[in-house]
Amino acid sequence: MNPRFAPGQAVVVAARESAGHVRTPRYVRGKRGVVERVCGVFRNPEELAAGNRDATRQPLYRVRFAQRELWPAYAGPTGDTVDVELYEHWLEDGR
Amino acid sequence: MSATHDAPRNFEMLERAFRELLIEAGVVTDAEIDARVEYMHARTPALGAKVVARAWFDPAFKARLLADGSAAVRELGIEVGALKLVVVENTPEVHNLIVCTLCSCYPRMLLGMAPDWYKSIAYRSRAVREPRAVLEEFGVRLDPGTTVRVHDSTADMRYLVLPERPRGSEGLTEAECAALVGRDAMIGTALAGA
Amino acid sequence: MSNHHDVGGAPSSEPIDRSEHPLLPWEVRVDALMWTLTDATRPGGPQMTVDELRYGIESLPEADYRGLGYFEKWLLSMIAVMSRKGAVDRAALDERVAAVTRSYHAEHAREHAGDGDRAHEHPA
Repeated sequence: MNPRFAPGQAVVVAARESAGHVRTPRYVRGKRGVVERVCGVFRNPEELAAGNRDATRQPLYRVRFAQRELWPAYAGPTGDTVDVELYEHWLEDGR
Repeated sequence: MSATHDAPRNFEMLERAFRELLIEAGVVTDAEIDARVEYMHARTPALGAKVVARAWFDPAFKARLLADGSAAVRELGIEVGALKLVVVENTPEVHNLIVCTLCSCYPRMLLGMAPDWYKSIAYRSRAVREPRAVLEEFGVRLDPGTTVRVHDSTADMRYLVLPERPRGSEGLTEAECAALVGRDAMIGTALAGA
Repeated sequence: MSNHHDVGGAPSSEPIDRSEHPLLPWEVRVDALMWTLTDATRPGGPQMTVDELRYGIESLPEADYRGLGYFEKWLLSMIAVMSRKGAVDRAALDERVAAVTRSYHAEHAREHAGDGDRAHEHPA
């Protein structure tokens, strides 16, 4: 399975709503970050949580976000970041 | 005088009842549960500290640790099962902080059970948004100009902070250095040797 | 749709309570049971996944999510998942809770049975 995104690539987290067990925190939805690394391929937790052992495998990424991107009122230095693990189906090309 | 005793807490009774039914149904055995209890009992922050001290003493090991945490940890004979470990290094320029905002994911194979505060809503909500205020609350003083990097353990990876080796530890042995590394230094809410 | 578990960045200036409690034996057993039931390497495979358990916890009413203890929530979620899978019957569980509670009371009554006699030995 080929990951769609590569380290260093800009991505945007989908801004959609969700039902069920989703591991994409709301505070990054719609936000732009950079792929820090490709973590590997794992089964979709949304499907696993519904009892489907044969859940779809897909690439998982660590995406780095600038704190200033996440919180408009962030008081710390511009270099501060948050890294979050996100599944490919939640990411879009950010270029 | 009538006998008095603590009213049983419902959850303690519920756990016993549930476990008994599962054992009677053949789903689990007492032996399995006991074995798991013993297994976790042996998991303490001393395991993580051993990894940290080795990284301080062996730059090649450290490089392997940062590249593939689980593989490097296994080199030391620490069995970690399916753990997918990412080790993040503190430097004079960067301080790392670990959190799981969605629940309480934690590298238990290396640190044992997570502390209550790590699982608290207060920590989980504030660590991503105001890490510097959280660090101050924990008494961590950072040099001005240090970048703070927060890691939210949202999926399959688990994180360990490789703290900076404390100044003044140069004459110590590897084991003595490991003794300087507390649990919180490997979560990012303390410095080693503090 | 429950999002009360998704707390990253939620407005909070609440100081972090750093007190720690040593785990009670029943909590340690809940943890052991949880990891045993989700162990993919067990013969026959896991009974459930950690994802199902997490979802069960997220699905608790908000008051329970915030008010119950960590291991209390795991226990409730395990029970919900196992009863949904038919491995545990709720009525049987209720009966067993009543039975172990009666045992517990009986054990404690026996422990304290001598207290009344001893009290008479000490003048007021």
